[in-house]
Amino acid sequence: MIKITNLEKIYRTEEVETIALNKLTIDVKEGEFVAIMGPSGCGKSTLLNILGLLDDPDGGSFIFNGVEVAHFNERKRADMRKHNIGFVFQSFNLIDELTVFENVELPLIYTGVKPADRKKRVEQVLDKMQIMHRRNHYPQQLSGGQQQRVAVARAVVNNPKLILADEPTGNLDSSNGNEVMELLTDLNEQGTTIIMVTHSEHDARFSHRIIRMLDGTTVTENILI
Amino acid sequence: MIKNYLKIAFRNLWRHRVFSFINILGLTVGMTACFLIFLYVKFELSYDKFNSKAANIYRLNTDIKTPSETINTSVTAWPFAPNIKREFPEVETFTRVNNGSFLVRKGDAKFQEDNTLFADSTFFDVFDIKMLKGDPKTALKDMFSVVFTEDAAKKYFGNENPIGKQVLLTGDGIPATVTGIIQNIPENSILKGDMLVSMTTFTQRLNKNIDQQWGNFGATSFLLLKPGADPRAMEKKFPDFIERNNGKERKESQMFYTFTLQPLKDIYLYSTRDGNKSGNMNNVYIFSIIAVFILLIACINFINLTTARSSERAKEVGIRKVVGAAKSQVARQFIGESVILCIIAFMLTVLLSVLLLPLFNKLAGKVVSHGIFTNWQYLLLLFSAAISIGVLAGAYPALILSSFKPVVVLKGRFATGTKGILLRKGLVVAQFSISVVLIIATLVVYLQMNYMRKRDLGFSKDQMVVVSTQGDPARFALQNAVGGLPNVKSTALSSSVPGSGNPGAYSEIENKKGDLQIANLDLYFVDWNYIPQYKIKMVAGRSFSKEFGTDTTQAMVVNESVTKLLGYSNPQEAVGRKFKQWGREGKIIGVMQDFHFRSLQQPIKPLTMRIEPDGCDLLSVNITGGNVPATLASIEKKWKEMIPNRPFSYFFMDEFFDRQYRGEERFGNLFLNFAILAIFISCLGLLGLASYSTMQRTKEIGVRKVLGASVANITTLLSSDFIKLVLISILIASPLAYIGMHKWLEGFAYRTSVSWWVFLLAAITAIFIALFTVSFQAIKAAVANPVKSLRTE
Repeated sequence: MIKITNLEKIYRTEEVETIALNKLTIDVKEGEFVAIMGPSGCGKSTLLNILGLLDDPDGGSFIFNGVEVAHFNERKRADMRKHNIGFVFQSFNLIDELTVFENVELPLIYTGVKPADRKKRVEQVLDKMQIMHRRNHYPQQLSGGQQQRVAVARAVVNNPKLILADEPTGNLDSSNGNEVMELLTDLNEQGTTIIMVTHSEHDARFSHRIIRMLDGTTVTENILI
Repeated sequence: MIKNYLKIAFRNLWRHRVFSFINILGLTVGMTACFLIFLYVKFELSYDKFNSKAANIYRLNTDIKTPSETINTSVTAWPFAPNIKREFPEVETFTRVNNGSFLVRKGDAKFQEDNTLFADSTFFDVFDIKMLKGDPKTALKDMFSVVFTEDAAKKYFGNENPIGKQVLLTGDGIPATVTGIIQNIPENSILKGDMLVSMTTFTQRLNKNIDQQWGNFGATSFLLLKPGADPRAMEKKFPDFIERNNGKERKESQMFYTFTLQPLKDIYLYSTRDGNKSGNMNNVYIFSIIAVFILLIACINFINLTTARSSERAKEVGIRKVVGAAKSQVARQFIGESVILCIIAFMLTVLLSVLLLPLFNKLAGKVVSHGIFTNWQYLLLLFSAAISIGVLAGAYPALILSSFKPVVVLKGRFATGTKGILLRKGLVVAQFSISVVLIIATLVVYLQMNYMRKRDLGFSKDQMVVVSTQGDPARFALQNAVGGLPNVKSTALSSSVPGSGNPGAYSEIENKKGDLQIANLDLYFVDWNYIPQYKIKMVAGRSFSKEFGTDTTQAMVVNESVTKLLGYSNPQEAVGRKFKQWGREGKIIGVMQDFHFRSLQQPIKPLTMRIEPDGCDLLSVNITGGNVPATLASIEKKWKEMIPNRPFSYFFMDEFFDRQYRGEERFGNLFLNFAILAIFISCLGLLGLASYSTMQRTKEIGVRKVLGASVANITTLLSSDFIKLVLISILIASPLAYIGMHKWLEGFAYRTSVSWWVFLLAAITAIFIALFTVSFQAIKAAVANPVKSLRTE
C-alpha cells in the first residue's frame, strides 16, 4: 500500500541544516498495523506527516496505493488525503467551537456527503465508539479518553484505507489508553491499515511490526507474532 | 458546509465577545459616520437636480468691467432675458426672478414675508415646482397675483381654499389675489421663497419702466435652452447682441460687460458671485475624504484584529486541512465570517443612523434626509458596501489563515511572523496618522472661527439692537420715540448695517489725477448718528454733521479703500474731492478707517456713505447693558403704538454679524464630531491590539516579574511600543495637516496662522489618548500573578 524509497527531508534555517529523514526506505502492506518508535528528534513525526500528505519530501519516492505522490501539489494532496487517510493525534485536535457530532461530521462535509447520509454515518460511528450519548457536548466538556474516542471517530468516519496515529495515548491514563488501542486494533482487524508513532513499548505491542528509527533512518524492524 | 461555517462563525463571535464587540462596534461607528456623510454629500450634490429640465437651464451671469474694477454678478438688467429669447432661437423660454420683502396681511394675520420672489409667468415652465391649486400657466400673469407655498398659505387661510381670495400687500394695503398654491420649494433649491408675486407687479407698478432700463442690474435671469443648444456658442454671440441693444449707453457709462451662461446645477456648489457662497464643493470633497478615512480606519481595525487573532484560529485551520479542507475552502470560510460581521454591523448601522439622523440634520444645519428608509436605494448601497467591506477586509486575514501549514500549527509551533507584526504596526500608524490630521484640522478650524469672532472689526457691534422698519413712513417718529427711552443711549437710521446686503452704486469720483473715475461702489444711506453710534473712526476730514446744511445733499464719506482705489497715498488728499453718484453731486467730506462691513472671508471693499433719510429703513438702537428684555419690551411697545400694521422684528447686531460664519461653524462642528469618531475607532483598534499583544507576552511578563520587574517597569515596557507608533503617526500627519489647513485658510481674506503649538497639542492629545487606551491592558497584565502566567506554559 505504501512504498517509500530513499525518502529525504531536510530542515534548513539560515545557519543550521537538520536532516530529518535520511534516505529512508519502508514498505507497508494493506491491512498492516505498524508501530514506529525511536527517540525524540529521530524523524518519526516527519515521516508521519509525509505519509499523511501534510508535508512533502525533499527527495526520494513515495508511492501510495500505486501512485507516486511525492511531488503532488497542495490541492492534489488535500484531495488524496480526504478520501484515503484518517488522523489521530496525541492532543486530540478537536475544534473547540464544534460539538462532538459536528467534529466527527467535518470530514464528510469536505468530501461532499449529503446531510442525511452524514447524519447516519456519524451516528453509526459514534455508536461504535460508545460516545453517542455525548453527541451534543463540546470537547471541553469531555474527559481525555472521550475526546480521543471522538478523534478516532472523526478519523474513521470517512472509511479511510489508512489511519495515521501520532502518539494516540500520549495524553491519556493507562485505562483510557488501552481503550483507544483496542479501538485501533478493532479497526485494523476490520481491514484498515494503521501506522502509529509511539514512545510506548506497551502500545507498540498492539501492532504487527515495529520500525525503530534513529537519526532519520530505520535501524531495526521487529515483526511481532 | 455553509451551515457549519455559520455555526463556527457565531460561536466564535460569542466566545470572543470582547473582540467581536470591538470589531462590530468599530465597523458600525465607521459605517454610520460614512453613511451620514454620504447622505450629506448626496444632498449637497442634489441641488436643483429635481428640475426635470435642469440640464438645459442656465443662469445669465454678468461680468462688468469698470475703469476701477471687475464686478462678477449673477444679475442682469430686466430687458436682457426677454430680448435674448426674441433674438436667440436656441432659447425655449426664460424667467426672471428677484427677491423682495412684503408686509402681507389677511384679517388679523400679518407677516413680513422676507422670502418673497417676483417671478415671470413662465416660472413654472422653467422650474418643476408642483402647483397644488391654480393654473401654472396663468398664476403669475396678472399684476398683483400671489402664489403661496403650502406652509405660507396655512398662515393666512388655515384649511380654507385661498384661490381667488385677497391679501393686502405693503403698509399701504394694496389688494392682491391668490392665484396658486405650490408645494414648499425643496430645500435643495437655490430659490428660497415662501411667496411668489407676478413680475408684472414689479415691472409695471412698483418699478415702472424698469423693463426698458438696460443699465439697471438687479434681475436674476434663467434661460431654458432647447435640447442640443450650445451655451458656449451662445456666449460668443452675446457681445454683438449687447452692442446692438445697449452699445451706446455702455460706452457712456464705461461699464463694459459680458454675459456667461452658468448651468443651474453648478450654481449652488460653484458660484461665488455677488460675494455669495451658499454651497462649497471643497467641503463636499473634504467630507467625502473624511468618510473614506473613517471607513478605512474601521477596515484597518478589522484587518488588524482578525490577523492578530489568527494564532487562535490556527489550530482550527490545521484540523480542517487535515480532515480534507482545501485552502480555498478555508479562505472562503474566513471571508464568510467577515461578511457575517459586516452584515451585523450593517443592521446596527441602520439602527444607529435612524437614531442619529435628527442630530446630524441639526449639525449640518439642513435636512439632508427626512428618514433613512425614504430612499431604499441608499440602504441597498449601504448593504452592498457592507458586503464589499466584509469581502475586502476579510480577504487578507483569510489569505493568511488559509496558508497555515497544518504540520506547523498542530504542533503548536505557530509564531506570528515579523511580516505580520510589521503590517499590523503599519496599519496602526496609518490609523493614528489620519486621527492626528483630523485633530490638527479641528484645532485650526476652531482657531479660525475664534479669530473671526474676536478680531477687531473696526466698528462696535455690542449692545446694538437693529429694528427692521421696512421703510414705514412712521420710522422717523419711531426713532425719536425710541431715542427718548430710558435704557437707550442713541439711535441711527440706515439702509444697511454690517453683515447685511447693500447696493453697489454707479459712481464717478475725482481721483488723484483730477479725473472723474468711474467705479461701482458699495453704498450705505445713513443719518447723522450712524458713524458715531457704530464707533467708526474717522481718519481724515469729518463725519456728517447737522451743522452743515449741505451734508444732506452734497456730502459723501468714504472709507480708506476708496482713497486707495482712487490712487491717493494719504486719506487727507481725498477730502474735498468731487463725486457724482445716483443723481447727487458734491464733495467728499471725510474718510473713515476701513471696517469690516462684510464677513472676514472677504477683503474690505470700497464703501461710500451718504445722508439719505428716505433710503433708510433699519433703525439701530444702542442700548445700555441693564435689563435688556425690559428695554426690548419698551421698544416694542413704541412700535405697536406707532406702526401697528407691521409685525415687530429686530436682531442683535453681534449675533447678526456672526451669522455669516454659520457655514464655517457648522463645518467646524461636523469636523469635530467626525474627528472624535475617527479617534474613537482608532482607539478601539489600539485597545484590541494592546490586549492581544499583552496576551501574547504573558510568559515574558511572568519571567520579567520573577526576575524583579516592577508594575511600572512592565507597564512602561508594554505602553512604549504603542507610543512609538503614535509618535511616527504624528511625524507623518503633521506636514500633511499643515499643507491641507494652509490651503483651507487661503479661503479667508483674514486668517489666523497655523502655530507650532497646534501640532504639539495634537501630539499630546494623541499620545494621551493612546496611553490611556493601552495602559488599561498594560497595568492589568503587569499586576497579574506571574505564577499563573508561567504555569500556562
